[in-house]
Amino acid sequence: MTSKIDIDNEASGDASLRMALRQLRSDRMPAHDLWPRIAADIAAKPTREHTAVRRVGGSRFVPWAIAASLLLAVALAWQLRPLQPHDGEAVLITHEARAMTREYQGALKVISSSVPASATSTPALRELDASAAQIRGALARDPDARFLLDRLRHTYSLRLALTQRAALS
Amino acid sequence: MLTATVTEFPIEAPRAVPPVDVDQALARSAARGEVAAFETLYRRHIGRVHGVIARLVGHHGARAEDLTQETFVRAWQALPGYRFESAFGTWLYRLAANTALMELRARRSRPQSDGDEGLEDFGTPDSAGHATALSLDLERAVATLPPRARAVLVLYDVEGWKHEEIAEALGMAIGSSKAQLHRARGLLRARLGGKP
Repeated sequence: MTSKIDIDNEASGDASLRMALRQLRSDRMPAHDLWPRIAADIAAKPTREHTAVRRVGGSRFVPWAIAASLLLAVALAWQLRPLQPHDGEAVLITHEARAMTREYQGALKVISSSVPASATSTPALRELDASAAQIRGALARDPDARFLLDRLRHTYSLRLALTQRAALS
Repeated sequence: MLTATVTEFPIEAPRAVPPVDVDQALARSAARGEVAAFETLYRRHIGRVHGVIARLVGHHGARAEDLTQETFVRAWQALPGYRFESAFGTWLYRLAANTALMELRARRSRPQSDGDEGLEDFGTPDSAGHATALSLDLERAVATLPPRARAVLVLYDVEGWKHEEIAEALGMAIGSSKAQLHRARGLLRARLGGKP
């Protein structure tokens, strides 16, 4: 096999070897899909920069958005069915996501009824809605990704908090 | 005057619509924290990233996978600071190589020899499924080189880096990079059955 690399001929051997080496530059897939491990890592260690970027609509939203989301966390914990630690099946996660979305939509409808329409179409709220839609899309493609469910819950919480703040102001 | 006007302002041919840089768009979304966008980037680049890491660590499967995972986690953390001055693929590829080289330097400081480890991943053909017996023999031989010599040879002869870049990445003098390359090629020729 190695005879094709003319290693016995000093004059041409080096060029032949280098040409063969250059051909080794190819893609190689790992034996396992590494994405679940990567996703778990980045979910466990969100960076400050990502968090800052996700706080859409400028820094003026930040302090009260955090406070309001903390207040609503208690209400959401009551509203939303608690997650079972060993429910890993895609069907169950999909069911939970749908139930959570229904609860969220109901809560949002109640809060929004007391808010002027102009207050519910701020850039921050629109971006949160877009984020939630993307997460739901990702869940549809990868229905056993529990971290997506957690992220969806967090997004809904923040969306409700922002809307409630708009209602109070 | 009309002629001059025409000369000064020739009718331009319709410009081609610039292609959408999917990677850049995905990277911007991922930098905003969108995990789904980052997963798409992972799917698009996993082969290239894992390929360069596997070659640098001598196709030690588990180690290469750990470093590949680390590369993507580091990429996620670094994305908010990515300035889009180079192609995303190039940026990620450099990050992958540097992640593997950092580990190589760290291992070098530990009292252990890993010159002959690796090779466990050779049952897997490349993504195109065209791992020929020739390239397999050559890859096996490269994988058995001492780590530093292997790194220099892979970066120079396989990946196309310059000695200046290799020297900086590996923390060595440019002359040392050249010497390591000479040594690696000699060892490789010997292991392939020729004269060193």
